[in-house]
Parts: sequence; structure tokens; C-alpha cells
Amino acid sequence: MTGFGDRILGLGLLVLAVAYGWAAQQWPEPFGGAEGVGPETFPTILAFVLVIGSLYLMVKPDPDAQWPVRKTALELVTSVVVLIIYALLMEPLGFIISTTMAVGTLSWRMGARPRMAFITGLISAVVVFILFNYGLDLSLPAGLLEVE
Amino acid sequence: METLGFLMEGFAVALTPYNLMFALFGAFVGTLIGCLPGLGPANGVAILIPLAFTLGLPPETAMILLTAVYAGAMYGGRISSILLNIPGDEPAMMTCLDGYPMAQKGRAADALAISAVASFAGGLIGTIGLIMLAPILAKFALTFGPAEYFALFLLAFATLGGITGKNPMKTVIAATIGIMISTVGIDISTGTQRYTFGVLELYEGIDFILAIVGLFAISELLFFVESRVGGGREKINVGKLTLSFKELVSTIPTQLRGGVLGFIAGVLPGAGASLGSFISYTLEKQVLGKKGKFGEGDIRGVVAPEAGNNGASSGALVPMLTLGVPGSGTTAVLLAMLISLNITPGPLMFTQNADIVWGVIAALLIGNVMLLLLNIPLVGFFVKLLSVPPMYLLPIVTMVAFVGIYSISHSTFDLYFMVAFGIAGYFLRKLEIPLVPIILGLLLGPEMEKNLGHALILSDGSWSILWGSSLAVGLWVVAGLGLILPYVVGPLLRRRMNAAMKESPVSD
Repeated sequence: MTGFGDRILGLGLLVLAVAYGWAAQQWPEPFGGAEGVGPETFPTILAFVLVIGSLYLMVKPDPDAQWPVRKTALELVTSVVVLIIYALLMEPLGFIISTTMAVGTLSWRMGARPRMAFITGLISAVVVFILFNYGLDLSLPAGLLEVE
Repeated sequence: METLGFLMEGFAVALTPYNLMFALFGAFVGTLIGCLPGLGPANGVAILIPLAFTLGLPPETAMILLTAVYAGAMYGGRISSILLNIPGDEPAMMTCLDGYPMAQKGRAADALAISAVASFAGGLIGTIGLIMLAPILAKFALTFGPAEYFALFLLAFATLGGITGKNPMKTVIAATIGIMISTVGIDISTGTQRYTFGVLELYEGIDFILAIVGLFAISELLFFVESRVGGGREKINVGKLTLSFKELVSTIPTQLRGGVLGFIAGVLPGAGASLGSFISYTLEKQVLGKKGKFGEGDIRGVVAPEAGNNGASSGALVPMLTLGVPGSGTTAVLLAMLISLNITPGPLMFTQNADIVWGVIAALLIGNVMLLLLNIPLVGFFVKLLSVPPMYLLPIVTMVAFVGIYSISHSTFDLYFMVAFGIAGYFLRKLEIPLVPIILGLLLGPEMEKNLGHALILSDGSWSILWGSSLAVGLWVVAGLGLILPYVVGPLLRRRMNAAMKESPVSD
């Protein structure tokens, strides 16, 4: 079936629009009555517009994009996981260690040789750390490397 | 003459050593970003916004820095077009047509030099146009009431998909999603909590800087992982500069035409730099006819699109500065910066924040001179940078985005949000939902709601006020045209651009 991507998106947006619009109707009426614009007016209009848009997508979808399969899809998921772990470990491990690992892994997965990848990661991490902490006076977490 | 006085004051702002330093830094980094394939001006400005923020720069300095980055990226875009036949971004596409053949004939150095001059000429003409047109438009915009503003915002969304945009409905959807995101948080006028789900971090709404950096920078990384165009590149030989003074002079008419056309394309809502470089190139081809060897390395084929796209980049600042309505993706990002500096863009800015507006305009003039001076001697350096494989560069760029966001709030919660926006950006781009209207929706959503509210209060709740004045009706009509035109003109224009690419002997 062609236009599969757009139809799925349309369906998702339709659900979103209805939920969004419905939620807006649940708010208590503000003090002073419903004169002019209440907090729900604008969201209601938006929900309405999005309903029309999503229906249109389902009725007249564009041809499908090429979606990544197997190996590439796995690489994409890996990259996203690396980014999330990077955010997770930045404070506990400190900026230099977490950045070396994140940049290194990403470069390596993109086809760099592992050694070069992690050396690039380490150098860029140290440079940015020094630049931010000493040059710009913005503290990045030192984490495990804290010397005190 | 009033304008001249303001401009002088602008120079006084821009010429302080502190601001000059940031302008130089911005021009340099901008060129760097522009010449890397895959990274365009929008990404460049997006990545530098958090930095400008965390450094606590004064508003005029922050704007000068980002404007310099913007102009620099426009300059840089041509380098990879000429040397690798890979346009850094869409506006640089037309430069490939004659730039790459010139490089193949061993005239890469000449192509780089003349394109730098053409960029300068285009930027200069565009900035002069900006100086003349902006104050007039700002004065005119002062007559706008809330209803007109509401219609103007709609016009901005309608035309932002641009003439080259594919499916106007997707522009509408994107803008709506953006505005919806902007309604998260506590409603300012009534104090009602909207869509916060009791999450404390959402009370103040979703910071659009997170959205911008995530949507642009992180999704770019994912796209790169998918396409894997990386790997090493062969060494590029630039060769000697053989450009004669006579040859340079002979391109002056082309520079002027390209710059003026580009500027006009830039001012028009939704047209932007891609159209600017395209029409400049096409016009030049028509003017010169058989006298030119377009597509085979004609020097004017490099000059026209470069003058055009740099003229357009200054032109796009006109609606952004005067109406608060950006004409392109990058100016939308610049607008985000203004709003987060607590400056309301629009006609009032010319009176309330005159130092910023004129400082930025003066900085644009200074920036163009700097870029010219920077680009001729440093071109070798930028060329070297091109041989650094993106598999090292993109992870580092991503890291810089992380650092920038983290430094603003020192909260890892924001980092997750940014990654989430990056993933969403990847899927949306895959489905051809344009990202810029989302950003614009996020930015203008609160203003739209406010103006709608004011308009309805003025009319005692009667909705007809929204189309109550002829000006408002005019804006609605243009907005409608902006949505319909892409259906009619878009496919035609795209076919022409593709045909132009195919005609060139090196399109493979």
C-alpha cells in the first residue's frame, strides 16, 4: 500500500488532535465568565485545524519515503541509545569521560576506526571542557575526575 | 536622512572592540559551518544560540554574533559546491552548475575568489536594500492592530512552506503542531495549567531552544547515520589564482543584477535564498544568451547565484526585523533568539530597541567586509577542513549541542527533551513535514493567541473583527495565495531547477 507513512501519521495526529481538543474542554471556566477568549478557545481552534489536516493526510497521502531497514535501522537505534546514555551519564561520570565515550562510539559506528574514533572523542572532550570551564567560566561536570 | 543618523549610531554599537570580536568570531565559525556539507545556516545559528545564552551576552552582542554566523554560513556554502559538487544547503545548489566545472578545469581558486567577491557584492546590495526598506515598512506596520497581526501571523505560516514547498497541507499541520507545543504551560492571562500533566518542568512551557537544537542538529546526525555519505575524500587541489582584474570588472553587471534580484526574493515572504540564487542564475543565462557558456564553467554562472543568495539572506531580515515575521528558516531561528532576549520583534523594535536593530544592520555591513577579507586569504584553511571526514565532525557538532543546552540550565532533563525532539525531527523530515513552520509556530503561538484575545476584546467577542479592515482582508488573501501557489508554481519551479541541474554535464 502506498502512502502508508502518511496514513499512520494522519491517524496519530487525529488521535492527538481529539485528545488535545477534549482536554481543553475540561478546564474550569475562568473567573469572570467566558467573555472573549478563555484558555480553551485557542486550543480548540488548533485541534479543529489539526483534525482537518490529519484527515487530509489519510485521504490524500504522499508517496512513501524510503525507510531504513535492518542494519541501518539498528545503527539509528544505537545512535539514539548512545545519546540517551550520554545525557544519563554526563553528571555521574563527568563531562570528559562521558563525551569521550559518546563521541567515540558515534564516530566508530559511522565508520571511523575505533582507535581514531575514541582519540577524537577524548581530544574534543578535553578541548571543550577546558574552553568552557576556564575560558568561558561555565562549569561542566567533572564527575569522577573531580580533584579535591 | 534620519536613517543615516540611526545607522551611524548602529556603527557606534557595532564597532566597539567587544562586538567586533564577536562579529569576527561569528563570521569565522559561520563560514566553517557553511562549508561543511550537510550543515547549513539554520543548523549553525541553532547550535550557537545556547552558547550566546550561556555566555550572558548583551542582546546586541548576541544578535551581532548570530547575524555574523548567518552571513558567514551563506558565504561558506559555496566552497563545497565548487570543490565537491555537493551543495552545503539548498541555496548553494545553483553554484554547483558552473563552479564545479570551473574547478575541474583547474580554476578552483578563481571560482572561490570570484564567488567570495560576488557574495560580498550580494550581501552589500542586500544590506543597503534592508537599510532603505526596513524603516519604511516598520512605519507602515505601526498601523497594524491585533486583528491585522493575527492575519499577518497566518500569512507567515502560509508562505513559509515556500514556493518550493511540496505539500501545503503539511505546512499547515507543521505550524499547528508548533503552536500546540507553545500552548503547554501556564496560561498567562488566566493562570490555567494547560497540558502540563502536573510535571513541574512543563509549568513554564517548553523552551524553544531545546526544540530548535533538537529538531535541527540531532535530526541531522540521525540523517547522516542513515545515509553514511562519510568516509575520506580525495585531496582537493585548489590551484593558482589566475583571475585577472579585467575579468573581475566584466562581472560587475552580473553582480548588481544578482544582488538586487536576490534581495527582492529574500524580502518576499516564503521565497528565500533558494529562489534568489535560482532566479539570478536563470536571468543571467537569459540576458547573456549564447554569449555565455553556462553549465561549462562560466565565471558569471558562479557570480550570479552567489550574489543572489547573499542578497536574499539580507533581504530575509527585512520582514523579520520589521514585522517579526521571518522569511526563512534561519531568520526564524534568529527570531527565536530575539524573543528569548525578551525583545518583541516587530515595528516597535525600531523605536524601542533602535540600538539593537541598527547595531545588527551595521554589523551586517561590517560582517560582509570581514567575510571578504577572511575568505580570500583563509580559503586554503576552509578547503583543508573539507577533507575532514564528517564521521568525526558530526559527533563533535552533536556534542557541542549537548554542551550548549546543558550549560543553559544545568539540567539533564532538558537533554532528554532535546533528544526526543531530534527523534521527532527525524521522523517528521522523513515524512516531509517541514520543520521550520513548527519552530515558527512555537515562537509565534503565544503572540497569536494574545492578539486574537485583544482583537476579540476590542470587538466585544465578535469574530468578524478578524477580517474587519481592508488591510486584514488583504493579508488573508495573500495568506491564501501562499497556500495555493505552491500547488501551481511549486512543481513547475522544481522541475525547472531539476532540469537546470540535469542540463549541466556534471550532474551525476
